Amino acid sequence: MKRIDFRDQIARNNLKSFFLIASIFAVFVALGYVFSMAFDPSYFFIIMIFSITISLLYIWVGYYNSAKIAIASVGAKKAARHEYKQYHDLVEGISIASGIPKPELYVMHSPQINAFASGRNPKNAVVCVTTGALEKLDKEELRGVLAHELGHVANFDIRYMTIATILVGMIAIASEMFLRSLWFSNGGNNKHPFLIVAGIMLAILAPIIVQLVQLAISRRREYNADASAVKFTRYPKGLIGALKKIQHENYPEKKVSKAIAPLFFSNPLKGFLGTHPPIEKRIEILERM
Amino acid sequence: MALLVWIIAGIVALVVLIFVYYFNRFATLSNRIENSLSQIDVQLKRRADLIPNLLESVKGYMKHEKTIIKSVTDARKALISARGLPEKVKADQKLEGFLGKLFALAEAYPDLKASTNFLELQRELATTEDRIAYARQYYNDSILSYNDLCRTMPGKTFAQLYGYQAKEHLKITEAERKNVKVSFE
Repeated sequence: MKRIDFRDQIARNNLKSFFLIASIFAVFVALGYVFSMAFDPSYFFIIMIFSITISLLYIWVGYYNSAKIAIASVGAKKAARHEYKQYHDLVEGISIASGIPKPELYVMHSPQINAFASGRNPKNAVVCVTTGALEKLDKEELRGVLAHELGHVANFDIRYMTIATILVGMIAIASEMFLRSLWFSNGGNNKHPFLIVAGIMLAILAPIIVQLVQLAISRRREYNADASAVKFTRYPKGLIGALKKIQHENYPEKKVSKAIAPLFFSNPLKGFLGTHPPIEKRIEILERM
Repeated sequence: MALLVWIIAGIVALVVLIFVYYFNRFATLSNRIENSLSQIDVQLKRRADLIPNLLESVKGYMKHEKTIIKSVTDARKALISARGLPEKVKADQKLEGFLGKLFALAEAYPDLKASTNFLELQRELATTEDRIAYARQYYNDSILSYNDLCRTMPGKTFAQLYGYQAKEHLKITEAERKNVKVSFE
């Protein structure tokens, strides 16, 4: 089998995710245009200005609080140094290898083996692991998992994921607002029936399309972070061992909401397939590195 | 006419942007190399700082192992007085060897092995060793990305323009973290 250089892998993934993000944005602009045209062309500017202001505010708040929101939503606690020495030691080592500052460390209570990273840039990043991961993984496996999370941080995946999550949320809200507003509009006068139909279709389809795109981004980024983890530790076996343990042991987590599922190391939810590539595939690629 | 002016202005702006981009890229990458070198230094110093405490905790138990204790002390002195990174790394490798021996000998002293102070120092030294390995690896990675930029187009042209040259790797080999672990569990 052909060997994959992890540097090529990172470069390729970055390009692809850029296009994915750009296409989400294009969908949003098209959506705004069609909605306002369907609703009432004379209000076009007011609607656009209003929605842009609100969405900017929404992005701003979401952007600066993403890490806090993610941490709070799973009920994670700060990992004290004296209590989690190995966790801190491993992360400090990998931080040196990756050249990024040490992120804030958190622990969430769960028997599952899992971890996630969040934040808007490496300086404001957080990493969180489950108590299950700390107990069940050996040192090299835990190192692999933490290197994977720091890979998300170093590749700015955490920023991409934050922005993507915000945009997906925004489009969902816009579609919802449009569909509801149709109930109150006084039928008739100057509306173009074709535009209204197009608007309805877009409003229904857009959230589904963006979600699919978001899932694609998140799958890409898992492979990407696996590649980075190998770059940092130079030891794919640790990560492979962790993935194999997860394959055998994990069962669905109840505490995790769909919105932050893509952040995790392995898919925390049952039936919500697609945020993560299949584990067998990840192991296969790692074994080729 | 006006369109032509805009097109020319656009092209000029793009060219300026490309020049600025490469200037910054080279500056960032050479900073990263400097930074990674000082990171190795920091970790080596950390190791040297841990040794006196280790010897202090060991002395009481290992009374008949004067030679090894002396070797470690000397190797530490050599590390502290070494100038330049390649020298320091060499001295550090020697120290690492003696430390390995010291820990091997410590196996014969159950009282020592039960001392939490000793265990804590042993753990600290093991993590420091990891960090030294990581710092060297980061140094190698930094040199690699810098040299890649210097040697491939279009970076090569800009490297000549700004007077940057591909750098030699300092003669420090990538540590084999798996083999030299100072841990006795």
